[in-house]
Amino acid sequence: MGVFETLNKYKWMIPLINKADRETKSTLMKNFRKKKDNFYPEGEYKANVDDLIKCMLCPNMCRFDCGTLQATHTETMSPAYKARIGYYITIGKLDPTKEENKDFVDLMYKCSNEENCKVWCPFGFSVVSLLETVRDDLNDKDLMPEYCKEQIEKLKKTNTIEDYNIYKTYKEKGVENIETDGNDEVFYFIGCEMMKFPEVVKANIAILKKAGIKFSTNLEKRVCCGGPAFNIRDLNVAKGFAEKNEELFKSSGASIILSDCPGCVLTLTKRYDSIGINIDRKIIHITQFIKELIDKGKLKPKDEIPNDLKVVAIHDPCLIARNLNDITSIRAILESIPGLEIKEPMYTKEYVHCCGWSGTAHWADKDISIKEATIRVNELKETSAHVFVSACPLCELGLNYGLSKEDKEKIKIKDISELLIKSL
Amino acid sequence: MNIEKFELIYKDNRSKIQDKLKIAKRLEEILGVNNYSSKEIDLMAYSRDATMLAINWTIEGKLAALPDFITWPDNCAQISNILKLANEEHIPVIPYAEGSSVVGGSIPINGGIIIDMKKFNKILNINDENLSVTVQAGINGMNLERYLNAKGYTSGHIPQSLYISSLGGWISHKAAGQFSTKYGKIEDIVLGFEVILPNGELLDFKAIPRNSTGPQFDKLFIGGEGTLGIITQATLKIWPKPEKRSSISYSFPTIEDSFSATRSILREYIFPAVIRIYDEFETDRHFEHVKNAKGRVMVVFVCEGNGKLVDLEEEITRKKCEENNGMDCGEQPVEHWFETRFRVTETSSMPPYKIIFDTIEVASLWDKAANIYHTVLKYMNDLKGVLMITAHISHFYPNGVGIYFTWGGIPPKGTSELKFYQEGWDTVIKAVVDAGGSIAHHHGIGINRSHWMEKEWGTSMKYLSEIKNLLDPNNILNPGKVYTNVWKRGEE
Repeated sequence: MGVFETLNKYKWMIPLINKADRETKSTLMKNFRKKKDNFYPEGEYKANVDDLIKCMLCPNMCRFDCGTLQATHTETMSPAYKARIGYYITIGKLDPTKEENKDFVDLMYKCSNEENCKVWCPFGFSVVSLLETVRDDLNDKDLMPEYCKEQIEKLKKTNTIEDYNIYKTYKEKGVENIETDGNDEVFYFIGCEMMKFPEVVKANIAILKKAGIKFSTNLEKRVCCGGPAFNIRDLNVAKGFAEKNEELFKSSGASIILSDCPGCVLTLTKRYDSIGINIDRKIIHITQFIKELIDKGKLKPKDEIPNDLKVVAIHDPCLIARNLNDITSIRAILESIPGLEIKEPMYTKEYVHCCGWSGTAHWADKDISIKEATIRVNELKETSAHVFVSACPLCELGLNYGLSKEDKEKIKIKDISELLIKSL
Repeated sequence: MNIEKFELIYKDNRSKIQDKLKIAKRLEEILGVNNYSSKEIDLMAYSRDATMLAINWTIEGKLAALPDFITWPDNCAQISNILKLANEEHIPVIPYAEGSSVVGGSIPINGGIIIDMKKFNKILNINDENLSVTVQAGINGMNLERYLNAKGYTSGHIPQSLYISSLGGWISHKAAGQFSTKYGKIEDIVLGFEVILPNGELLDFKAIPRNSTGPQFDKLFIGGEGTLGIITQATLKIWPKPEKRSSISYSFPTIEDSFSATRSILREYIFPAVIRIYDEFETDRHFEHVKNAKGRVMVVFVCEGNGKLVDLEEEITRKKCEENNGMDCGEQPVEHWFETRFRVTETSSMPPYKIIFDTIEVASLWDKAANIYHTVLKYMNDLKGVLMITAHISHFYPNGVGIYFTWGGIPPKGTSELKFYQEGWDTVIKAVVDAGGSIAHHHGIGINRSHWMEKEWGTSMKYLSEIKNLLDPNNILNPGKVYTNVWKRGEE
């Protein structure tokens, strides 16, 4: 809330305050003046203290939809408590350098970035955005947790999220590499995580080819978008990736960048902007592009897909539904496929529950993420569909963790492109 | 230990657990290794509920209180065994689910074992023929309501705390929702429930619309505030989602006119789901943008249900408002209420300025209601440090109302915030008692009102305390609430 809105909101109090005795008015004025002296830390810090305070004093209005709280059933994981601990770390009430306080530091990373909180927050906060500002201060004090350092080391060593350069595995996975000639219409930016699902990458390449799109993938030169470094808030490392990708996009000549990973789309757009790198191209998720191709008649799904794939439940990736604010592309594509029966789970579209695999929680405490994934799988199972369809490699990874041994025999998790290609 | 850096408010009379390791071992046997904790990070998370003063303490780095253990049972046998252990060792046990009490109901003022009920969150059955739902008691209110809505129903119980409260909390604190004038309060909605007594025994009060089976033992636990037993599951009434909803608002020159209008509506057997009267201060606060509202008393109505009945309710509601000097303000004030009713920002906005802010709800028969309203305003305006005292009325009966006061102020020099908070509370309650009202409408007693219980109940209080002693001879369940005056503890 801005200053004007705040003043407007509380202007009804002015006549009441005017009626108060002199001492009370004087104390009130002093309290307004001294707010920062009373409750803000001294020295330099990056933490967003204003909003941490608002969040920690809130009665947790978003608690019922917080993925980590619902997965763990503990007050410790509630959003307002995370903000409270962030505030205590920032003002020095909890010393993050002490080994005995490791649990408190770890709590700053136990969020799956789903941003359900933002939907319900009376202030419109995303709690992870607040926690990230606390992480900034921890990083400045060289207090990044080991599990985050390991991820940063991997990024530095292999330029991807694995111990090895996952893009270099394209040959063994049978993924075609398309080098740029500098005159591409589109650059297909394959997410590191999506390289774990080569069938999806192959389907996307086939779809783009069927639509007659001139595009490249440049897998030999590919690096991560830097998303994990943004989550961890190692912005130096993140910036390195942003600069490399900026060069790569320039060399392709493409005016449109597509990604199969919503996290990459967020990173290439808002996150790069936040560190001063603007990729001056249209950057969209591949489902948005495919919807446009269908709308323009460049793709015409016509074949019925196999019976065992005909009944599907939609799992909206939270980044597409809540960050890109797009709940139509996935549905439009699915509705274009002949004979497909689409089921909506109870929590869907902008109210979707997370797969558990976004953010830093799955590094800080994998059990939390598995519990979140299990909750989501159970919600999807209630639709009675045996195919769960999504459009994000992290969702597909997370949902797989949520499947029991018996589930795995009955349920298939598919990317939307894997279904679409069967009807083209 | 970090906790030593945090000033503890309720630090006297804490239970002395001689051998914590032994208790930890017993809890592990009952619950398994991952379902209990004595880690600082967990203990601090359960150091307060949503009581306003405890929220003020949070920014000052103070802890209202501190439990010794947190437990997360997922079945009744585990709860029974924790209670048996607590009896053996004389350790307090505090039931906790969403921690939304605003009267200190779930603050562990004597330390002890928190039983967190969040794992009791399953919806067991919807019975369309009976219009009922059976649910475990730890479920969050919004998650229950969303589920019911998805299936085409509503519980009709929509408190402002819907997002942050649990079914067990509603029953234990005898809650009331915003739509209560039509659907009833929680005691009207509960058909049956299960409760575990302090000795660990499970009682099953079967779901039934009504019966005549001698003294109604079950009613003791509705409003028991976790002192007589722990509710584990309940069967509630549900309703098909209403076919039609209408939004009406009128402003009145005086609070008395608004009372006359709403009273006369209820006398016609008309029960709008929502009626809310805002005094002139709250009208200026919430509806300053509405024509015909400035300096007047706004009343919003929501009628819902069968379309023909809603039309009739609307017609009579409008007629009665106009007969009582009401000016039609259209649908917009109701829409504004729908948009903002869960937008709670005051708990975050006031503490950084050291403003003590709280709400106190009380009950009254119609013939005393206006007097209670004016008496409370007069008493509070005379209290040094008080900046504001306003009211709205949001729960209606043919015979009376629940009045909801909001007050805020700054402790005068030399007065601690706790003392000022207590003075504010006591001033409101004293005014209500003097004017013939009841000290609480739907938030319960907790810590904040326990010292008024004798005044409220008179001779009955002795028997109420004897019932507590009978059911909980070792006083393990939620001690320091309801029956005991702990108001002055925590005083600097």
